[in-house]
Amino acid sequence: MADTVRLKIKRQDGPDTSARWEEFEVPHRKGENLLTCLMDIQKNPVTADGKPTTPVVWESNCLEEVCGACTMVINGRVRQGCTALVDKIEQPIKVEPMTKFPVVRDLMVDRSRMFESLKKVHAWIDIDGTHDLGPGPRVAPDVQQTRYVLSTCMTCGCCLEACPQINPRSQFIGAAALNQVRLFNEHPSGALHKDVRLEAIMDDGGISDCGNAQNCVQVCPKNIPLTDSIAALYRETTWYGLFSWLKR
Amino acid sequence: MSIKVSRHFVLRKLHQLTGILPLGIFLLEHFYTNSKALGSVSANRTGIQLFNEAVGDLQSLPYVLFVEVLGIFVPLIYHAVYGLVITYEGKPNAGSYDFGRNWLYVIQRVTGVILFVFITFHVLNFRFGLIPGLNTRSVAAHPDQAFQIVRGEFLNPTILFVYFVGIASTTFHFANGLWLFLIDWGIAVGRRTQRLVGYACGVVGVVLTAIGINAALAFIH
Ligand code: SF4
Repeated sequence: MADTVRLKIKRQDGPDTSARWEEFEVPHRKGENLLTCLMDIQKNPVTADGKPTTPVVWESNCLEEVCGACTMVINGRVRQGCTALVDKIEQPIKVEPMTKFPVVRDLMVDRSRMFESLKKVHAWIDIDGTHDLGPGPRVAPDVQQTRYVLSTCMTCGCCLEACPQINPRSQFIGAAALNQVRLFNEHPSGALHKDVRLEAIMDDGGISDCGNAQNCVQVCPKNIPLTDSIAALYRETTWYGLFSWLKR
Repeated sequence: MSIKVSRHFVLRKLHQLTGILPLGIFLLEHFYTNSKALGSVSANRTGIQLFNEAVGDLQSLPYVLFVEVLGIFVPLIYHAVYGLVITYEGKPNAGSYDFGRNWLYVIQRVTGVILFVFITFHVLNFRFGLIPGLNTRSVAAHPDQAFQIVRGEFLNPTILFVYFVGIASTTFHFANGLWLFLIDWGIAVGRRTQRLVGYACGVVGVVLTAIGINAALAFIH
């Protein structure tokens, strides 16, 4: 048998059509990643049993696990296609789109809900205008260190895909947005709107919908300490919930 | 900014709290009373005497009705019903993501559902004596016969097995729930703390299971 890679890909032509499985066999290259296989299918869109088909649609940009665009479910686990090295995973490689987001086509999903969540939790620092505001406040090195890791989130969606609390029956916003709340609340300028963010994550779909299954921290490709972030916010929101109303 | 604490948040926090206070504390008290069935060699008292006395003492507590309704039944029903709502909102995936914590997440919900059925049965069976075909006397109303009523039921192997499952589910749900509570209320924050607290809760679970089962066995010796 020639040196090939076997793939089983879940295909879907559009948001409202039903899904089907197709198998492919593409030439093997040493050290290649999964996206190379998808490119081979693009060049020659024929299934393993010789039937012509449409090329598989997927998204990707950086090819170095920084943009998050090529996130998909590979052999049952969510990860980025670019760092899924073919020589290191079992064949046939089962490739599916993420299940927690609406499918646009094939492996391409619409992750808008994550950006909506960022808006909901006020995941930015307000500025007063476009004029020169002068230097920002100084940030202690250990705070910089903590925040740096939190800031590497690429909104890839792995943490939502692996979370049992994210599904059509729940409104949970997921670990990524919660982590951003901690990122901005720990910045001296961001802290000015701390309460706005805390109240946002105390609402429906917020932090109390977390079930502590802690899958997020296991699957996050950026190794962000998501459960630490969530636990830190648990402390803040509990405190806020217990005592803030006494200030009324 | 006007201060607003969302209703959702309060309901969830109450669910977490009721699991420990009063329900967790009540569980400890319950196991303490049950363990009286072991008897005391040094005081030269049998399990029958000690247990029946303890049941009688509880029944003669001042404001017992008030304590039972507001301290146990109301929080229990709230915790149970809201727990089912929470269970409905989850979609377990431990098959694909078989991490330890993810399994605990699943088992917490499975034991929760088991407990919903078991505690309903248990309360009707002993507190009220209302399960058709089984015991017809309320333990609370007959403290002098309490031991015998329980013994009568436990001599039936099926019932005993149901109670073993119920006890183990309870202790797991409580021990893991304690871990969850400490995280949810922002007490165990760091990863290392969460891990160590997790082990401690594991020990609590194992010890309580042993105490619970041992007390149950004391009724059929
Ligand atoms: S927190 Fe990690 S897993 Fe979640 S979106 Fe950001 S990078 Fe992806």
